[in-house]
Amino acid sequence: MSETPRPELVVEGFPARPRPRWIELTTSADHKDIGRILITGALGFLFLAAVELLLMRLQLAIPENNFMTPVGFNRMLSTYGATAIFFFAIPLVFGFFYYVAPLQIGARGTALPRLGQLGAALFGAGAIVYYAGFMFTPSEAGVNPLSPLTELAFLSNNGVDAWATATGLATLGFVFLAIDLLTTLRRLRAPGMAWRRVPIFAWAATVSCWLMLVIGPVLLAALTMLMIDRNYDGIFFADGSGGAPLLWQHLSWIFFTGTYMLVLIFAFGAIAEIVATFSGKPLFNRASVMVSLAAIAVVGTLAWMQNMTTAPIGIGWTYFAMLMSLALLVPFGLIVFNLISTLVGGVLRMRAPLLFAIGAISMISIGLGAELEQSLVAASWQLKNTTDATAATHFALLGGAVFGGFAALYYWFPKMTGRTMGEYMARFSFWTMVVGILLAFIPLFFAGAEHGQVIDAYKFFSGKGVDAYNLIASIGTLILLTGIVLTLVNAIQSRVNGAEAGHDPWGGDTLEWFALSPPEPHNFDVLPDVRSPRPMRDIRLAIANRTARGERPARESQPVA
Amino acid sequence: MAPHSPGTDQIDTLLWIGFVAAAIVVVAINVALFAAVRKYRSERGAEPRQLSGGRGIQFRVAGALTAFALVVFILGVVFTDKARQQPNTGSAGLASAKVEPLQIKATGQQWLWRYEYPNGAFSYYKVVVPVDTAVELDLISTDVVHTWNVPDLAGKHDAVPGKTNHVAFRADDEGEFDGEAATLSGQAYASMRTEVDVVSPQAYEEFLKQQKSDIDAAQERVVGLIENGEVP
Repeated sequence: MSETPRPELVVEGFPARPRPRWIELTTSADHKDIGRILITGALGFLFLAAVELLLMRLQLAIPENNFMTPVGFNRMLSTYGATAIFFFAIPLVFGFFYYVAPLQIGARGTALPRLGQLGAALFGAGAIVYYAGFMFTPSEAGVNPLSPLTELAFLSNNGVDAWATATGLATLGFVFLAIDLLTTLRRLRAPGMAWRRVPIFAWAATVSCWLMLVIGPVLLAALTMLMIDRNYDGIFFADGSGGAPLLWQHLSWIFFTGTYMLVLIFAFGAIAEIVATFSGKPLFNRASVMVSLAAIAVVGTLAWMQNMTTAPIGIGWTYFAMLMSLALLVPFGLIVFNLISTLVGGVLRMRAPLLFAIGAISMISIGLGAELEQSLVAASWQLKNTTDATAATHFALLGGAVFGGFAALYYWFPKMTGRTMGEYMARFSFWTMVVGILLAFIPLFFAGAEHGQVIDAYKFFSGKGVDAYNLIASIGTLILLTGIVLTLVNAIQSRVNGAEAGHDPWGGDTLEWFALSPPEPHNFDVLPDVRSPRPMRDIRLAIANRTARGERPARESQPVA
Repeated sequence: MAPHSPGTDQIDTLLWIGFVAAAIVVVAINVALFAAVRKYRSERGAEPRQLSGGRGIQFRVAGALTAFALVVFILGVVFTDKARQQPNTGSAGLASAKVEPLQIKATGQQWLWRYEYPNGAFSYYKVVVPVDTAVELDLISTDVVHTWNVPDLAGKHDAVPGKTNHVAFRADDEGEFDGEAATLSGQAYASMRTEVDVVSPQAYEEFLKQQKSDIDAAQERVVGLIENGEVP
């Protein structure tokens, strides 16, 4: 019988055409494929950034070193900054959000997939533009290139143009990704998933998308003005009549401060999921953590003038910035309090994700503690632009993006690949990284706070009492790089050789563990009605009850897979 | 860093306050974190139990944190205000600066500081100031942003083109105090240094006179060379 009951349906379809996996991955608009590209790309740039940091530290290992020229050092510095912020931290953050958040809210995809695809492509374009520029003339203007050094009169080669184009393309990409993800989070949540039941990481994604929608266009505006200044004789940031070099500082610091907060919001979102899962119980107080994450985005970004305490702006503005910085103590403190209260009374499984999550909390606390001291206006007159500030920023951001990012990687890697990452190598990598980061940045606290060693300088002079500190810091950076590489190698190896993970290797409470590992293109065949903030636990309990026919209650702490 | 001015004395106190506040936060978090991990790691077979506690504890923690942040904020404002107070010239200081502070113009340019004194003399790299005298530097820049930074006397202040920034200090001790520029300003940024020579008022007056006459003599010589046709 060749007759089909409904002849209007084509059931045979087109013959499946085998194509290479990489071309499928790079041309797909599926949020999981885009997320994987962003995460893989970001981790590649993490390696590059760490190598660039190491090269700069090699130059600074001994006083008055001649390993690099001043211009070479400035180029390396600018490249390190752009790579670490625009091509590692933000894409890693958005990669995880983009992969995990739609799964967590039970969506079958994102709302505007082509916009997300364009966003990822723009990130790639930005990275290519930057590193193509690196072949001939990279920027020499530093991590945040302060105007008017970036004006054509002072840096006349194309480096700053390449920097502005590359970061502009990438930022535009992040804004598009944020629009897509925010629409998804608002419109495509599973039935019953009210905001009060949204997983904490998906909430962090919501807050981060809003934040990027505010700070991204600010930087894009500043970059546009910079390009007009450089290429069409504009005077936005030129001094003299009508120009304002300080305008660049305001606009760029809004973006960079917001990015700082973005990384920490991501880190605490991921850490909260991991701590809850691995202690076997829900967050101590979800609502408090959710409010705190939103508060960090608002209050933290409002503290941007903390970076301008030595600039000729009114003292009242710097007091406002100090107030905002110190106010951050409340949401950060509440989050850490809730995380520790979740650990207390739990049954902690000390697996790699929890290990990295705890390391991240510890490192972020050191960084934010040091930032607290620097937020005091008069204290910042001594500490600002010293290696003390370098160390504080690196503790907070390496704690957030590298320790927190690796925690997220170890946690969601089984979901992405269907395989678990090696546990022994994870431990080895973790402790190497802890030793590395402490050795690399604790001495810089002393060099900056005691001896006032300034940042961004390609050399320092002997007889200032900072020789030993710098040497230790350089050795520490090498150890840190080794630790980072160990986890990257672990990820590459485990993708093929890792132990098979089921759909729910950790016993998580959120819906991404309901999908297969790796998930089907459409994510879910069926979706449950969400009745609580822990839908996956509800499913597990229902299954256990059914199998046991109500004879005995299910064990909560037992993982299903 | 060792404070040698009333302003940096206050900054030093504030640095200690900040350090203690930061240490309290960092130690409290890490001790609680590691104690929790140590106590509750791999209690296999045990049932995880949730601590009781509703909204009340959240408000109490938030209240305590707010109080802590407010105390630190108030201390920050108080000591910052003290640190930026215009110092008065002391008895051992320059007589002419008793009422108004001694005004010196500091111009940042790639990659050198130029100082202009009230009598028209100027010097590069090194500025000479009298001890126990209120000095106000007017910071300007002719090209990019530079940060004037002498930690022992005043800390950091930016010279931004198109704007004038002020930094006031009173050096309590004679001596040489050096500093490095602290904002990336281009190729030779690392070599952009400055030095403040604090000397007695007499030595300061003498230096000014000498510097002024040296500059005048040099300028007259140049004018003479041009008039004689030796230099086109």
